[in-house]
Amino acid sequence: MSLRQVKVSPFQAGLVLGFGSALVQAYFKVIPPLAYGVCMVCHPKDLFNWIADHLLHLNWGYSLASTNWPLLTVVGVVLGAMVAAHQHGELRLRSVRQPLFYFINGFLMINFGLILGACPIRIVLLSAYGNWLGIIGWACVVIGVLLGTWALRWVAARTVKRSEMA
Amino acid sequence: MIASIATLVLGFVIGYLGQRSRLCFVSGYRDFILTHDTNLLKGVLGAFIGALGGFVIFGFLGSGILGFPMLLQTTILTRSALIITIVSALGVGIVGALAGGCPYRMHVLAAEGKKTYWVYLLGFYTGLVFYNLATVHFVDMLKTVLK
Repeated sequence: MSLRQVKVSPFQAGLVLGFGSALVQAYFKVIPPLAYGVCMVCHPKDLFNWIADHLLHLNWGYSLASTNWPLLTVVGVVLGAMVAAHQHGELRLRSVRQPLFYFINGFLMINFGLILGACPIRIVLLSAYGNWLGIIGWACVVIGVLLGTWALRWVAARTVKRSEMA
Repeated sequence: MIASIATLVLGFVIGYLGQRSRLCFVSGYRDFILTHDTNLLKGVLGAFIGALGGFVIFGFLGSGILGFPMLLQTTILTRSALIITIVSALGVGIVGALAGGCPYRMHVLAAEGKKTYWVYLLGFYTGLVFYNLATVHFVDMLKTVLK
């Protein structure tokens, strides 16, 4: 069976992600802070700020794990996803929809994420580590998704109602 | 340098697997709320189990898993930390649900060539600059006020 034919379930992918994050902390010095193996807001911040600091001397902060060399998780994720998409014929340009909405969402996501100090992945890792703030944060992320989903439902229902009335 | 290479390799693997499996740490909850579909939610569960298993095994082997499990240690939760965690986590959840995915999923979708998610990432990295210039100082101020 070639790599192209291998089917991956979300559970298997999650297992690899979780175990891999513990592995890089244990043997590859991705520490401190704790449970920092994968984070899709903190690692991009470390990489961005490390470059800004070294090129422009802006003195923007980054984690101790990135002191000598930056963490390249985000580069790896993009490369890995590109290779997978290319192998399976899914790599093609598709047009933009609702650009302002998505721009604002991206802007808000990293700000909330950096205030929290974690992305939705790291909050799971912190919970697995037994961190109380991680567990509370995870519960609040789920409640936030619930609220966001209700908001989307409400908007969709209102749009349908309006179109029926018109 | 070893941490850089390790995170690059791990990132490549999870990027590849994420593209094939549609793993997302926001859509899992959303799909369950909307349709009771547990497929993506199992991915979140898998990450929790994988991480917990890894921390237990490597902790047992005595390598770099400091202070695990933290639940067994005495922790003092300050009021400021608690409020900031709750508000920001709610924000992450709401924004994630509105955008339709977590930052990891957004990077994967952008890598597939979907320009909508390029715009998301443009906002994401513009937001990072804003965080460095303004938000970080605001949060420091908030911590002092809430103390």
